[in-house]
Amino acid sequence: MIPRYQRIAFWVLAGAILLMAAFTIHARQRVHERIAQANDAMPYVAPVNAQTESVTLELANDADGSILSALRDVALPQEPSMRAKALLERLFAEYSQPDSMHPLRAGPKVDDVFLLKAPTAPASSDLDSAGMIAVVNLRSSFADTHPSGIEVETLTIQSIIGTLHANLPQITEVRFLVDGQQRETLAGHADLLRTYPAVDTSFQPTAPTENPPQ
Amino acid sequence: MNLSGSQTVRRLVLLLIAAWTCPAIGQSGLPYMNRNLVVLDPAHGGQDKGADLNGEPEKDVTLDLATDLRAALTARGFTVVSTREADLPASAPLLTNEQRAGTANHLRPAACLVIHATMQGNGVHLFTSALAAPVTAYDPSTPIPWEDAQSIYLLQSQRLVNSAGLALVHAKMPVLISRANLRPLDNMTCPAIALEVAPLTQEGKKTAVTDSGYIQHVADLLAGAIQSWRDAELPRPAPAGGVTP
Repeated sequence: MIPRYQRIAFWVLAGAILLMAAFTIHARQRVHERIAQANDAMPYVAPVNAQTESVTLELANDADGSILSALRDVALPQEPSMRAKALLERLFAEYSQPDSMHPLRAGPKVDDVFLLKAPTAPASSDLDSAGMIAVVNLRSSFADTHPSGIEVETLTIQSIIGTLHANLPQITEVRFLVDGQQRETLAGHADLLRTYPAVDTSFQPTAPTENPPQ
Repeated sequence: MNLSGSQTVRRLVLLLIAAWTCPAIGQSGLPYMNRNLVVLDPAHGGQDKGADLNGEPEKDVTLDLATDLRAALTARGFTVVSTREADLPASAPLLTNEQRAGTANHLRPAACLVIHATMQGNGVHLFTSALAAPVTAYDPSTPIPWEDAQSIYLLQSQRLVNSAGLALVHAKMPVLISRANLRPLDNMTCPAIALEVAPLTQEGKKTAVTDSGYIQHVADLLAGAIQSWRDAELPRPAPAGGVTP
């Protein structure tokens, strides 16, 4: 015969276990929702001490293969590499919107942007004015889930290059890494091994003509 | 200087061998191109399946298009070489982009086509290399960097893509012409374009990119475009003996 106090202790402990399990499941759900909200890539949250300024984003359009400039008001940090990263995060936030013309899956995409002095830049020049190489370190979670195709991948690459060029004119070249490593292509097509010149990439495809190009 | 008969013959033979082995300069100032040869490069293959096109791997669609294009070009009198004729076994090493470009570059073809397929967009996407055009004219004594090999053929490639685009537009096919940095396109020393076939939406009717009739139609249009481009850019050389009255 089990004593009464042992039966009471058993049921109290069993009840405590059930309560703890329910609490754990509830807490897990709340953390999951919080992380999902953080990954939602909604517009960049302005730092308290940053000034809002107008920046140019080179926005891609899958429907007609164009890249067109658009102005947005964004608060950006002053440090150039942080500024470059914030610009790209803002650019990708546009692509994560439901009505985007170049839809990309929401979530973090850029790990870091490193700015290095270009080998051709004068040794005495400072980083703010010298020709710089921007090394854009993308996340593999972004590259692995990027839509596959020459057109769609090229638009993403050209959009990144054009946005950096428009807002950070000291950048003369752009290179790409994925998780800190070299990778042949973004999603099977666009070349990521090449050093791209930082140029104006706004582009409107032209129709074929009866007179061949001269 | 007097030369004996045997010396003269020897010099003539050497001259002929030199003329045969040295790359001839074509009408456009570029190295000799075999006007009847086209190289096709169906992208991906083996372990590299490419994009997922509604359950069918991109490597199979590119191979189907290359097969149809080969038949259409052969019917028009072209010799066609493909960088892969069938799917590579899964255990086989991947066909690298350098190997694909190397195959094309060794053969000196009149045109090279890099073939891809996608689920994004509508109709056919045509690309030339996004490399910058060279600032100086082609000089045979100056080495061409591998990374930028296509740059000296950009004008011919743009004319080829224009011709292909026109053929598709005339057939009321949605076409998008753009530029891209893509391997092995950037490394090819021939007039080269990349072709990306996307699903077709026309008059409310949707055609999958895997549809064999659609692929066949695109192949026929492109083969005709390549032939008319070739006839305009690389006309048949006049017979050596001149026109017989």
